[in-house]
Amino acid sequence: MTDARRSDLENLISRVALGDRAAFDALYDATSAKLHAVCLSVLKDRPEAEETLQEVYIRVWQGAARYAANGLSPMTWLITIARNRSIDRLRARSARPVTAPEDAAAQVASGDPSPESATIAAQERRMLHECLAQLAAPQAGAVRAVYLEGFSYADLAEREGLPINTVRSWLRRSLLRLKDCVTQ
Amino acid sequence: MTPDTPLTPAEDDEALAAELVLGLLEGEAAEAAMARLTQDPGFARAVRGWQERLAGLAEGLTPVMAPARARQAIRERLGHARAPLTIDPNARAAWWRGPAGWLAGLLAVAATLALLWLPGQPGPEAPMAPGAPVYQAQLSGADAVLRAAARIEGRDMRIALESGAAPEGRDWEVWWIGSEDATPVSMGVMPRDGEMRMTLPEGMEPSPLVRLALSDEPAGGSPTGQATGPVMAIAALTAL
Repeated sequence: MTDARRSDLENLISRVALGDRAAFDALYDATSAKLHAVCLSVLKDRPEAEETLQEVYIRVWQGAARYAANGLSPMTWLITIARNRSIDRLRARSARPVTAPEDAAAQVASGDPSPESATIAAQERRMLHECLAQLAAPQAGAVRAVYLEGFSYADLAEREGLPINTVRSWLRRSLLRLKDCVTQ
Repeated sequence: MTPDTPLTPAEDDEALAAELVLGLLEGEAAEAAMARLTQDPGFARAVRGWQERLAGLAEGLTPVMAPARARQAIRERLGHARAPLTIDPNARAAWWRGPAGWLAGLLAVAATLALLWLPGQPGPEAPMAPGAPVYQAQLSGADAVLRAAARIEGRDMRIALESGAAPEGRDWEVWWIGSEDATPVSMGVMPRDGEMRMTLPEGMEPSPLVRLALSDEPAGGSPTGQATGPVMAIAALTAL
């Protein structure tokens, strides 16, 4: 995401926070196809994804005023809302899921100055795909399946034919390796 | 870090933050991590770091436009727009005859005038500005049975099937291909009757480089958001 696009989105979100409906429309135009893709990736069902997308934008409208405090880049905030809503719906039938809320960081004082962490985040974002490619294929596939399709440890264990604890151990190590790679 | 050495406490915290972001924790472990999030700034920072890092995965997804009714439903749910026909035309109490009605009437007139007079603030159904660029595309399949026509005026796009509906249990999905090597963006499923109408969002700029395509998908459209079936028809936009 370019800096210009980032500040455009931040500008729109801050106007939405003031109840600006034109800004809300513009934000929807700029981001809904991407967020719809996130919902669809997790839910794999068009009507459910569409319904979830509606919930996402209602949450965006209601939560925009708190956006500035959370220290996330605008696309991360939006994608996180879309993914969390989708996963809630995916797992609604079983146990209540718990994902870190999109305003997690707003709950305690942020230690980083926002612009600096934004630059770091952008650098890491560029490295991400390269670093995923450095993981073994099953590990990289597992990270994607968990994030983009809402797989649980039980789902992964079934897919890989391994005990849950084994899967958990190698996924945790894969994630740490990924972080080491993107932050180096 | 080899597969056998246990994680250090710092590594364990990082992994926990990632698991919380991913939604992999359950029960007490999840509750404990959520509680820690509100009390431990270092942990909250780690969580935010994972949210940023992993969101990059979603940025690689092919965008899929939602149908226009999704936006309408959001507006209605937020009270920004009224559903069509929510006013019962047979309602008995003629509220507009009372003083409150007069006031509302005056306000409505004032609002309409403001809308008409304020430059650069067209209403939602404002007619297309004269001189807005117009494009069209005629899509036809190899068998010449499937035919569809698209027309774009400014940012308003309409597309309709002229003949050759998808077989039972299948749908034609409409794709926007912005340039030679651009990833196709799904615009939704072609209606069997009538036309599909949408406002092109920012970033989807009509030009002669743009092609529209129809692919053969399961009923309701590709479940993944990526084209799964063969392209049945494709055509570039032509300026009128």
